[in-house]
Amino acid sequence: MITRRTVAERLPDRWRTGLVSVIQFLLPFLVIGLAWELAVRSGLITSSSLPAPSTILAKVWALSVREGVLWRHLTRSLYRLSVGYALAMGSGLLFGTLLAMNRILREMFSPILSLLISVPTIAWVPVFLITMGLGDRTVIAAVFLGGFFAITYNTIRGIEMVDVSRIRAARTMGARGLHLFASVLLPGSSVSVITGLRLGIGYSWRALVGGEMLSAMVQWGIGKMIYQARFWNDVTVMFVGLITIGVTGFLLDRLLIRWLERVTIERWGMVAER
Amino acid sequence: MKVRRWILPILLVASFLGLWELAAHFHWINPSLFAPPSSIVRDLLRLHVRKLPDRSILLTHIGASLQRVFVAASIGTVAGVLMGVLMGTSRLVHRFFDPIITLLMPIPGIAQAPLFIVWLGFGDPTIITVGAIAAFFPIAFNTAAGVRSIDPQLVRAARLMGTSSTACLPRVYLPSAAGHVMAGVKLGWARCWRTVIAVEFVAAASWGLGYMIWDASEYIRSGVVYGGILLLMLVYLAMERLLLESVERLTVRRWGMIRS
Amino acid sequence: MTDNIIQIHGVSKLFGKGDREVVALRDVDLQFREGEFAVLIGPSGCGKSTMLYLIAGFESPSSGQILLNGKEIRRPGPDRGFVFQDYALFPWKSVLGNVMFGLRRNGVPHREAKATAMRFIQMVHLQGFEHAFPHTLSGGMKQRVGIARALAYDPKVLLMDEPFGALDAQTRKLMQQEMVSIWEEAKKTVVFVTHSVIEAVYLGDRIVVMTARPGSVKGMVNVDVPRPRKYTEEHYLHIREEVLALLEEEVAKSVKNLVEKDRRRDPDVTPA
Repeated sequence: MITRRTVAERLPDRWRTGLVSVIQFLLPFLVIGLAWELAVRSGLITSSSLPAPSTILAKVWALSVREGVLWRHLTRSLYRLSVGYALAMGSGLLFGTLLAMNRILREMFSPILSLLISVPTIAWVPVFLITMGLGDRTVIAAVFLGGFFAITYNTIRGIEMVDVSRIRAARTMGARGLHLFASVLLPGSSVSVITGLRLGIGYSWRALVGGEMLSAMVQWGIGKMIYQARFWNDVTVMFVGLITIGVTGFLLDRLLIRWLERVTIERWGMVAER
Repeated sequence: MKVRRWILPILLVASFLGLWELAAHFHWINPSLFAPPSSIVRDLLRLHVRKLPDRSILLTHIGASLQRVFVAASIGTVAGVLMGVLMGTSRLVHRFFDPIITLLMPIPGIAQAPLFIVWLGFGDPTIITVGAIAAFFPIAFNTAAGVRSIDPQLVRAARLMGTSSTACLPRVYLPSAAGHVMAGVKLGWARCWRTVIAVEFVAAASWGLGYMIWDASEYIRSGVVYGGILLLMLVYLAMERLLLESVERLTVRRWGMIRS
Repeated sequence: MTDNIIQIHGVSKLFGKGDREVVALRDVDLQFREGEFAVLIGPSGCGKSTMLYLIAGFESPSSGQILLNGKEIRRPGPDRGFVFQDYALFPWKSVLGNVMFGLRRNGVPHREAKATAMRFIQMVHLQGFEHAFPHTLSGGMKQRVGIARALAYDPKVLLMDEPFGALDAQTRKLMQQEMVSIWEEAKKTVVFVTHSVIEAVYLGDRIVVMTARPGSVKGMVNVDVPRPRKYTEEHYLHIREEVLALLEEEVAKSVKNLVEKDRRRDPDVTPA
């Protein structure tokens, strides 16, 4: 007798465990969403101040599929994020490397960096507004600043922590200067550098949202979408915005950074810090 | 104090400030947009000296912010520790709330502000609530990690010696998780500070360091803006030195759990 | 007659300053002949590894000079190969990538470098593993990669710093036997640092025994037992005793040094 296997059992193992973990992840949201929905429907909460999940989801549908407006906001935000973060990555890696290799530069700039880090990124936005205007450039500057410090700091740490035997091994084989850097220091510092990239993108994303909210001439962007919703007291749109921020931030980390981790440090068996 | 270590950075900063002053003086840069150090000091002093009716405006701004941070972070700490302990002790609770925290924690406070403005209006209620939320997440997260890392042998030893289940909580769990908890508290208070300032930009009615900076930027009073940033640095450093280090010294270092 | 490939004249090495100054090596005079397998042995802290680092060029002597083929050594370079105790392999490169590193660095074109590297990988009996990444290999295998990597670009001298120290006893014995066959095939001058007398007498043509800190040469023992040697052979054991005798004196001295240091720190403690 041949028993019919269920769809789930026919999936390859890796897909099955992936599916299980996705379901496990979504479960709390489903539970809370359900309870919330019931609370609103039964009149426990007034729907004007706290809309039901069904209302929110309907809004998501309306904004994304019917009007396409959500995508316009999101792509604009992601554009600013890419530009600012790319700048942060490039200059952070460069600056971090310079500071790691040169003791004088490090002594000169380290205390200043520590001081600057203590200022919340958002506090620089008024400065940017005054000096760079109220549009895109300010937002991109905020994104840059958010990522720059984290990337710089972790790059310095990463290079400092490269195993000294490996450096000696390369030197004895004739590697010097730029070649030593590219072939040993850079890959050797990957664990820390990736941590920096991960923290950096988180900070950059948060700076982006704040920057968009504060820049008056900016019209499109998730942050702006939330800010504008206040003028119509549209709490539903605010929720849509917040969810979008949360999900996008999550995906940026899980997709981008995790992918980078997988093709580098995981493949090489270099342990990731927690 | 290692004097030699500070010579280079001080030189750098001094020359930077000097150059700035010169550039503004000779109008190489616009002094109303890039207020030079002399103007910054002047504007800040003016805010301090101009009393209204009998207190310094500057100090009132700083005080308002600090007050909000203190209240918000305290609420966040209590809630965070409780939640963290719950999550740390019960696998079910942890599995339930972990995805929620993962998704919600990265949402910046300033984005939550408009929502709370609709619900709670402008001013302290919104600012403190969002600040508390900002502190809550890292504290809950780290406390949970700390509780989960507790050596079960310690718990068994305590139970054997007669400690009841509930008494274990403050006597065994909390002290041994203290290192993680302290890390979370440090993070939480730092985040609360940043969030309070940010939310003050959009939600403060009349007082607060964030409000002061934002208000000044709307009128392009750049001296106050730069001065405000300087004050943010100084206040944060003072806060970090005084508050957190003394708490750490009293608890975790005394118990020998962190290298002093 | 074989020349002296390495000459060490009056070399001293100091670390630290003032009252924390440490004299690691004092007035060392030593020569290494081309093609010989020389072993440096001594109590802990005697500076044998420091000596090796000086030859490698990782450090410079505080006084005196070290000559390789008549030229003074100033910095690390591809005329010397180095095998580290912690392997120091590059985890982001495969076994092949690691072994090819020195060759590629010195301008050898890719195809030739690959072929040469494969030859050395075969010499250390790791064929089949050339595309594996180091983190998947055992300790013994990793060290074999280390040896292949150090030999691949044909250095004049091979320096080995307690290369089998991190391995378990079984693997260590196997590696000692492997080392002999590798050396006979590669025909290199080797300076080998160890603190195991068994290992020293098994491997070396000549054993240089060093004194306790500050390190200098206490004595030399020639090992004229034909290879492959047996750990239980009478002549082998005889030489082992000879070396041990020299060594024990120095080990006792270094223990005394440690106790003295402790006593200076805490005068109330009397040694057992």
